[in-house]
Amino acid sequence: MNASHSEGPIPVTVTVDDAHLAAIDELAARLRAAGMDVEQVLAPVGVITGSAPSGWEALADLDGVAGVEPQRTMRLPPPGTPQ
Amino acid sequence: MMRPSREPAASTTGRYLLVINDDLFGDDEASRAVVREVSGVQEVVSTRDAQPGALDARQTGPGALLFAELGVAVVTVVPDRVGATGLFEPADDRLIAVEPERIVHALQDAVPVDALQDSPFIDDAEATWGLQATGVLAAAESGAGISVAVLDTGIDLRHPDFADRDITSRSFVDGQTAQDVQGHGTHCAGTMAGPVDPAEGPRYGVANGARLLVGKVLSDQGSGTDADILAGMSWAISAGAQVISMSLGADQREISTAYETVGRRALAAGTLVVAAAGNNASRSEGDPGFVGVPANSPSIMAVGAVDATLAVADFSASATEVGGGEIDIAAPGVQVHSSWPLPRRYNTISGTSMATPHVAGIAALWAERSGARGRALWDELVGAAQPLGPPAQDVGAGLVQAPS
Repeated sequence: MNASHSEGPIPVTVTVDDAHLAAIDELAARLRAAGMDVEQVLAPVGVITGSAPSGWEALADLDGVAGVEPQRTMRLPPPGTPQ
Repeated sequence: MMRPSREPAASTTGRYLLVINDDLFGDDEASRAVVREVSGVQEVVSTRDAQPGALDARQTGPGALLFAELGVAVVTVVPDRVGATGLFEPADDRLIAVEPERIVHALQDAVPVDALQDSPFIDDAEATWGLQATGVLAAAESGAGISVAVLDTGIDLRHPDFADRDITSRSFVDGQTAQDVQGHGTHCAGTMAGPVDPAEGPRYGVANGARLLVGKVLSDQGSGTDADILAGMSWAISAGAQVISMSLGADQREISTAYETVGRRALAAGTLVVAAAGNNASRSEGDPGFVGVPANSPSIMAVGAVDATLAVADFSASATEVGGGEIDIAAPGVQVHSSWPLPRRYNTISGTSMATPHVAGIAALWAERSGARGRALWDELVGAAQPLGPPAQDVGAGLVQAPS
């Protein structure tokens, strides 16, 4: 698990709220200005991914952000167990 | 007692589906109120209620079950609300639609509701047990004109069973191509869209006429991040997928804002997302497990697994009290034969991962049949499911069924 108090940046997913879907690039710029390293701007679904340093929770306060969450890693179970 | 004069038509259950309008959607109390007022039923159980154990979609007495995440209630209407014509046709602008609940059976035999399959389905020379149990063999549709996406470990593009297929593939994993070396993705793609007449062995694929979109979001080692998976979903929606199959997940109870929002936007764009409920149950040891991310998103269809007797698989996760943590539908997920990367070619494995592409493929058949997309396609799949013995918290609306 990613701990929010860790020193280095952690991968995060930002969900854009419905009102700002058309202005997603502007929101990406605000996220960069707030310290996020933006890697993907997924306009068709209104999601921005990247990484952000400790204090990333504050990105949720930016205008146009519906939510910020640390990224999960999904892993398939080992062979021989239910998949 | 006089026998009621109104006999439900042979193809319906006598219950009705009430579809709540968008203004009330998500408002449990307002939804319950309209169901009570229109149907005369006092007891409205919601899938958001604290005790999912109280839910039973097979109930026969007066009552109503509200599928809160769908905005749909299944109601046994109080008799005096049914008009002289034998029809229940309330006019209420809080409802988008009212329709008789249908019974859909595989054509070849009428499977008794509420009973485990007396003799298990078995793979035969013609087809896998899963295709038999879901009525796929009798369906006229092949998914022609429909695009279905599988987001997984990729696909073995050299496999003879996919040699002549319209496949668009893309990798979202750094430094790896969409070529599958892990096996999981080739297996899931095979179930969803494998050919009518494979190079060897029985038919195992559902939507053999569909255009296949393969997004590699899990690495050769079988892992992927949210960023990869969300990028794959975005790509699939942009590429015109009407159905996205995701046999992946994380054992986390809390709903993800990202997946739920994307699932909702996908439905609005005409794309149905189905995802594996998860394998964290151990029912034989008393652990029912729980539906994880992303299947616990209300706007993503959560698929549980049944075995060849139509009993719930030991590993198949159960509903949680989290809104959206329901099981929406069930599909064959034990001892599932499908394609596998060369040189092995085929493999038989189990999991809710194997159940999920059965639902995705069958969704493509319905999409071809009716033209339904997004939420309407969801409703069609759930409405056509064959009720099963286990409670809704384990199998949702029941066993997915192809159009007959």
